[in-house]
Amino acid sequence: MKCGIEIHQRLDTHKLFCNCPSIDMGDKKPSMIINRKQYAVKSELKEIDIAARFEQNKNKLFSYYYYPECNCEVEADESPPLELNIEALRIVLAIALKLNAKPVDEIQVMRKQVTDGSNTSGFQRTMLVASGGYLDTSKGRVNIITICLEEESAGIVKQEGNRSIFRLDRLGIPLIEIVTAPDIKDPEHARETAEKIGLMMRLTDKVMRGIGTIRQDINVSIEGGARVEIKGAQQLENIPKILNNEIKRQERLKEVLAKLNKRFNGKVEFDMFYADMTEIFESTESNLIKKGIKKGGRVFAMKLPKHAGILGYELLPDRRYGTELSDYAKVSGVKGIIHSDEDMDKYKINEEEIKLIKIALAMKDDDAFILVVGEKNTAIKALELVYYRAKMDYVPQETRKVIKEVYTAFMRPLSGKARMYPETDVPPIMIDKDILDSASKIKGPSLEEVQSFLISKLNKDLASKMLRSRNLRLFLDIIHRLKNIDPKIVAVTLEESLKSLSREGVKVNRLNNAFFSDLFSLYSKGSFVKPAIPEIIKYYLDEKGKLSIKDIIKKYKLNILSESEVKKIIKENDGNIKRIMSKYRLVIDPAMLNRLLEGNDKE
Amino acid sequence: MKLKRLRITVATADEDKKRFIYEGYEIPKHQFSGKDIIVLKLDNGYNIGIRKRKDVKIDIIGEKDISISEYKNTTREIKKRAGISILNCGGTIGSRIEYLTGAVFPYVTAQELIRQFPEIKGITNIKTENVFSVLSEDITPKHWSVIAEKVYEHIKDGAKGIVVTHGTDTMHYTSAALSFMLRKLPIPVIITGAQRSSDRGSSDAKMNLLCSLIAANSDIAEVAVCMHASINDDKCYVHRGTKVRKMHTSRRNAFKSININPIAEIMYKNLSFKKLSNYNQKGTYSVKDMRFDNRINDNVALVYYYPGFKPEMINNLSEYDGVVIAGTGLGHVSTNPFNDKYSKSILDNIKMLIDSGIPVVMSSQTIFGRINFNVYTTGRMLKEIGVIGNFCDWTPETAYVKLCWVLGHEKDYDKIRKEMEMNLVGEITDRIVLIDR
Repeated sequence: MKCGIEIHQRLDTHKLFCNCPSIDMGDKKPSMIINRKQYAVKSELKEIDIAARFEQNKNKLFSYYYYPECNCEVEADESPPLELNIEALRIVLAIALKLNAKPVDEIQVMRKQVTDGSNTSGFQRTMLVASGGYLDTSKGRVNIITICLEEESAGIVKQEGNRSIFRLDRLGIPLIEIVTAPDIKDPEHARETAEKIGLMMRLTDKVMRGIGTIRQDINVSIEGGARVEIKGAQQLENIPKILNNEIKRQERLKEVLAKLNKRFNGKVEFDMFYADMTEIFESTESNLIKKGIKKGGRVFAMKLPKHAGILGYELLPDRRYGTELSDYAKVSGVKGIIHSDEDMDKYKINEEEIKLIKIALAMKDDDAFILVVGEKNTAIKALELVYYRAKMDYVPQETRKVIKEVYTAFMRPLSGKARMYPETDVPPIMIDKDILDSASKIKGPSLEEVQSFLISKLNKDLASKMLRSRNLRLFLDIIHRLKNIDPKIVAVTLEESLKSLSREGVKVNRLNNAFFSDLFSLYSKGSFVKPAIPEIIKYYLDEKGKLSIKDIIKKYKLNILSESEVKKIIKENDGNIKRIMSKYRLVIDPAMLNRLLEGNDKE
Repeated sequence: MKLKRLRITVATADEDKKRFIYEGYEIPKHQFSGKDIIVLKLDNGYNIGIRKRKDVKIDIIGEKDISISEYKNTTREIKKRAGISILNCGGTIGSRIEYLTGAVFPYVTAQELIRQFPEIKGITNIKTENVFSVLSEDITPKHWSVIAEKVYEHIKDGAKGIVVTHGTDTMHYTSAALSFMLRKLPIPVIITGAQRSSDRGSSDAKMNLLCSLIAANSDIAEVAVCMHASINDDKCYVHRGTKVRKMHTSRRNAFKSININPIAEIMYKNLSFKKLSNYNQKGTYSVKDMRFDNRINDNVALVYYYPGFKPEMINNLSEYDGVVIAGTGLGHVSTNPFNDKYSKSILDNIKMLIDSGIPVVMSSQTIFGRINFNVYTTGRMLKEIGVIGNFCDWTPETAYVKLCWVLGHEKDYDKIRKEMEMNLVGEITDRIVLIDR
């Protein structure tokens, strides 16, 4: 196995070629829906990309949800791009420097054709910023081939027949794309590398956090199999499973091919042969087919010679060779196919109907058939796609998407370089000393430095939590500024107290870095005790940020008690430590209490 | 064209990696690329710029031939059955970019056009002529005359419809000019263009062209512009040639009918044609009835009035044979009737022009609405000294084109005024109906 990964991480800045903010509109209704079509175009080397041509065959309609809060004319492809977001470039350069990569001298912005509709312009703007970096891991060095800056695509909302609906809020958000060399040794190593690169990027504090903001694609080549690009692995933990499943899928496919080659005497070759079976299904019991016909659809059956038993061959749990063919058929807009290795009772297709199909297709015993229901042109397109896939006597190179977390399904043929051509609307950008200097300023500390620092200050578990925390930079800033503070208290507050408050329904995400800076600086001055921290946070949010932390302490009487006050309390409670703590937990420094109680004992 | 394959080796201070190596084909660089930059096309498809320096070693390791399109100016295509003639007059729609050299080439042959847009075959026979390949902003009144003449030739040759592909920036000047030059048209003359070049997957060229062919196949017997009706790829509007204007720098639906409704719409889905308002219909005139007259006088100025306008600027216009002013509001410029100390009236300067026999025509920079000199003192003063254009609802561009055309035929001030203020080809409407925008 040869494996490399591609990491896409959204940058925490405005859009790449316009001044729209990079925000997620969630469930908000779009103000407008734009309907478009797209065409495949030739690259400067006069080739039409295979993936592009494949998509174009679909004659698709694209609809785009438009949100005025974060979309302007640029995302709607109604205006040329504005200037490149230099802050985004600076962040990419900072990460490139962290990964020991060499920036190019002058950036040339490119258009990468994407005809699946995920960009209104028909292409994604992308640029190679640096190359030749590396990263050291527990299993040796992983080289970085390229580091690119590109636009995020529009998000798919749903697909209805030949119409794909996208949302434009995320279109144009700057993304860094990091591509490693095929230096990854095994599935677990892929996970480690992806995690490490993710952590390094986060140390700049300039990348977005949260679901969907980082995605890993996996490029894997398997001996005797094919190169496959797997898109959209969101959970790092799943990478080993996805890879193992892909290896297994290709191995099983090879078994299928061996069987087919044997049956076909070495060359899988047959003609496309299909028949319109709508009439025989006119009074069918099958709900699926009945529904399709009612909507004006036709039913087609196609013969797959010598495929009996092959279509049902299991590749992975719940995924058969027939599923692979079905994935291709779906590209046309049909929901899927029915094949003869399936249980026909499941679809309520009766013996008589099967018999008629077999007669119509002049089927022999080892032949198989597939059924497609849909609008005539769409259904025929689906048959063509199945035929196209069934004739491949090799494991095809594909771009596949992750489904059900650990499996993959066909998306499109693997794209080649023919889909790149220059973005003539944006001039080249010189990488000069000024921008490199400003990039190195936001680089942040190195991962190794931070790791050993955390281990020296916190226990192993907390150090590991802190390393992955979105509050890491805040933590480091506080620890460096407040020399006498106990790092553990800061870490526990940021990682554990906030979580449990959040579980109680406290809106802790409204707190900003300045709040925590203030909080810990007052704490380090001895203004209040540790147990008071969650209370202060709660009251602060209750007061909707109108009162300063100092005012909160005053108003809710959370200031630390003086020695004389504590002495008085000890006296009042006969030195009963349990009683004292249960009453004054939030204002008494336990160390002081102990010291004074010990003093009492001595007296 | 031969492309050199280069291996560029860059020495570096990084101990772990002694040098960086880039391999790829050297391609022509961008106009704004740095002086010492070499642009390489890498095998992964990306282009990058590398600076030539002392520590950079460049080896030529190969070569490859790339066919580059050449500009061939062929004239008439083989004569076929009467169909629609597509006259390519440049602009985004009629050209494609050669990425390697950055050069822009026109589509020359019908075959090339059909290869790009195979759906054309389903609509009609076409023949094409490459009239010229000129950027929109390089178009001059001379070009209008050339296009008009070509259109006339094709009509005489039996074309049943004409599509002119043209740059969009000055399309509305050309459409107005053709309207004045080609009278009593027997067939449609449809001008179209593209706001997104054909090298983009999202280009509007195909839809605009196919809809224009439908318009050119319809019963319209006028000069009209056919472009996207909205930002969706759903329909095109057909706009009267004298009443249309580009109203946005970049949107697909930049073209709007001014003071009237579009005359027709064409749905892209089924290429159906729907009449939206009255137009001259096919069958009214035959080829014999047609009047072709492309004589114009292009020594006309179109000036934009603004608050700091200097009176001397008007004096400088005395070299011209006619002047169109894009005035404010109802058709105003400073006349300073209340003798304000800062204001600078240009009334006397305009009067001097008029008195020397130079017609001065008013239009409004509001674009929409009608000129009316009767409402304010200023207007009344302008009317009194003989400024032309009261009650005209033309755009500044149409007023300019019309003055060029009228001056090509008349010298007498009164005749010029009469001709100007009379509706000739739909450029002045007698009713502006409320249109909800």
